[in-house]
Amino acid sequence: MLRGAVAIFRRDFKKFLSTPFVLFMTLFFPLMYLIVFGNAIGGSITGIPLGVVQEDPYVNTTQIFDSGVAALQDFHQSDKPAQFRVILFTSEESARRALTGGEIMGYVVFPSDVSPGRDVRLYVDSSEYTIPALIQSGVAAVLARTGGGHRLYVDNIYGTIDYLPFFGVGVIVMAIFMTTMMGGGIALIRDREMGIIEGYLVTPVKRSSIILGMIGSGTLRAFLAGFIIFIVDILVAGVVIRTTGNFLLVLLVLFMTSIGVTSIVIALSSRFTTQQEYASSVAFLNLLLFMTSGAFYPIIGMPYWLRWITVINPEAYAIHALRSIILRGQGIGVIGGDLIALAVFSAGAIILGIVTYRRSLE
Amino acid sequence: MGTNDGISPEFSRGEKDVPDPSLGIPADAAEDVIISIDHITKVFSNHQTVTAVSDVSFNVRRGEIFGLLGPNGAGKSTLIRILTTLMKPTSGTAHVGSFRIIEDDEKVRGIIGVCPQNSTLDLELTAYDNLDFYGRLLDVDEDLLDKRIWELLGMAGLSDRAYATAGTFSGGMRRKLEIVRAFLHHPLILFLDEPTIGLDPDARREVWRQISLLNTEQTTIILTTHYMDEAEKLCDRIAFMDRGRLITLDTPENLKKAMPGGDLLEIGIDGPAGPALPLLQRYTSINRVEVKDSLLVISSNQGNSVLPQILNDLESLSMRVTSISIRSPSLEDVFIYLTGKGLEESVPGEIRAKGGH
Repeated sequence: MLRGAVAIFRRDFKKFLSTPFVLFMTLFFPLMYLIVFGNAIGGSITGIPLGVVQEDPYVNTTQIFDSGVAALQDFHQSDKPAQFRVILFTSEESARRALTGGEIMGYVVFPSDVSPGRDVRLYVDSSEYTIPALIQSGVAAVLARTGGGHRLYVDNIYGTIDYLPFFGVGVIVMAIFMTTMMGGGIALIRDREMGIIEGYLVTPVKRSSIILGMIGSGTLRAFLAGFIIFIVDILVAGVVIRTTGNFLLVLLVLFMTSIGVTSIVIALSSRFTTQQEYASSVAFLNLLLFMTSGAFYPIIGMPYWLRWITVINPEAYAIHALRSIILRGQGIGVIGGDLIALAVFSAGAIILGIVTYRRSLE
Repeated sequence: MGTNDGISPEFSRGEKDVPDPSLGIPADAAEDVIISIDHITKVFSNHQTVTAVSDVSFNVRRGEIFGLLGPNGAGKSTLIRILTTLMKPTSGTAHVGSFRIIEDDEKVRGIIGVCPQNSTLDLELTAYDNLDFYGRLLDVDEDLLDKRIWELLGMAGLSDRAYATAGTFSGGMRRKLEIVRAFLHHPLILFLDEPTIGLDPDARREVWRQISLLNTEQTTIILTTHYMDEAEKLCDRIAFMDRGRLITLDTPENLKKAMPGGDLLEIGIDGPAGPALPLLQRYTSINRVEVKDSLLVISSNQGNSVLPQILNDLESLSMRVTSISIRSPSLEDVFIYLTGKGLEESVPGEIRAKGGH
């Protein structure tokens, strides 16, 4: 009995040592997990863009406004950079536009001279995680320091949003990635391993047809998975869709995201020959893309070098677009950029997949 | 098995030379050439350098069943993969139809049907769906596809299993399905890489029947095999390959004739056989005669036609024949003769040395 066990042990271990790539990934993976996960989540959030404006009618800056702005600019946690990046607005309307357009995370309205004793008002983008609380406590602390006895009135412009719907949006994107990873990519490599691919490489079918066909089926599967999670979000996680237009817009974003993610996974998997290599690489890719997508934690809380990944991360655009529609009720004006980024990304990945796909057995 | 072993030649003449492998076919048949292979070499250099195909040149004629014979690792499958554009040769080139395999690979793929050595059926799909899938890849006319699929399923004897998944099929059924799949689009040339490997005798005969059937539509068929009987039964011409080289190429009959000694006749005589020798020397078709007491052991290229004449001669000498046996050399004998010994030396030299020049 022991001899058999040792034989199996030896065989497994020999195979483990003979696949340097997998060996490398098994060590590299936890290390990257530490670095990416550790930095992407729970980082101190600083430099929150915060608008400041004085109530109409606007005559001159008041003393409370000047000292408030100075204190907000100066406000920071010990040993950390400034908490807020303060942006001055000349009218409440322009500040409001900036807030709903996603340029700032909140704005403070100081009362004018004409009406002393009025509340200081704070409007906050409540769709982000932890940031509304940081803004509110920061502004409250500044007011307490500058005095004047003004009370703080807080308006969460998107209502109070729990973590569940916030995270639910991220899970939609995760469903898309997982479906692609398990479905499209693995299936392609299994075909290669089982030799099925050798059969149709000798037919006149074009390289681009093979790639487009696989991306097409993968996209549809991923889209269905994302759609199902989206429905679950509505039914269970308390996500609210306000208009039919927004519902259709969500479907559009899901579709674009599915194409983008499927394309990059197919492009990658057409280069791998074994399931092991593929699985370890794609698991890593999943970690990297999902962690830096902002699904868990605001991108603004990530270190600068990690934020660069979000620029080329299709999931970051997808999550931004979905949150804009689902949590903030925003439309094409805000998510247009995200859609363009997803389209550019998908096109690049499809071309990469077609160019790198090996049309021969070598 | 080595028919010349143990027979000391009393006389020896008129032995047919082994055909020159580089010629392949006579020049007057050149217009019928459908595949011409021109000095193809394939070297793999992953961990160690292996020459899988070494400077191979020959032609295949339109409409024939052409056999590539050789042991495992002879380079047959590599050559097939090069001709079917799955691999690029290290050097040399080839024309399939009128297309060059490297530059016009896509056009080549349009006129060939391929049945690779390892199964490439999708075992999760039904027989019908497997054919349907390939019909679309092969760009078979949509209106004709369904009819064609049923026709081929009938040909493979699988009509009643059309909607069963290929995973539930026996090895023979899978093989037949795969062969008809390669034939969906009426290819000009059909490549079959070890079509009967791992099949039981019944299934092999079924596959042979099917291959002969496909050949009736003027399709050229190239098959690789290491079963000599298969090649002998099916092929119009046979190329022997060993260790990447082309050893010889001819019809099965000529290959057997090329065997020094040819057919082996053993005639038992009631009494000493020696007196018959002078008479037997007259026949140009007799290569060797050995006398073992009352037994005449005769090697002849045309054993069947020369035997009655010998019997007449013996009768004229009043020698009474007590037993007759005639045995043709098998292709396996020829192959062992050609590759058996001293293959490390240059191959043509080896053949000539054996041929007694």
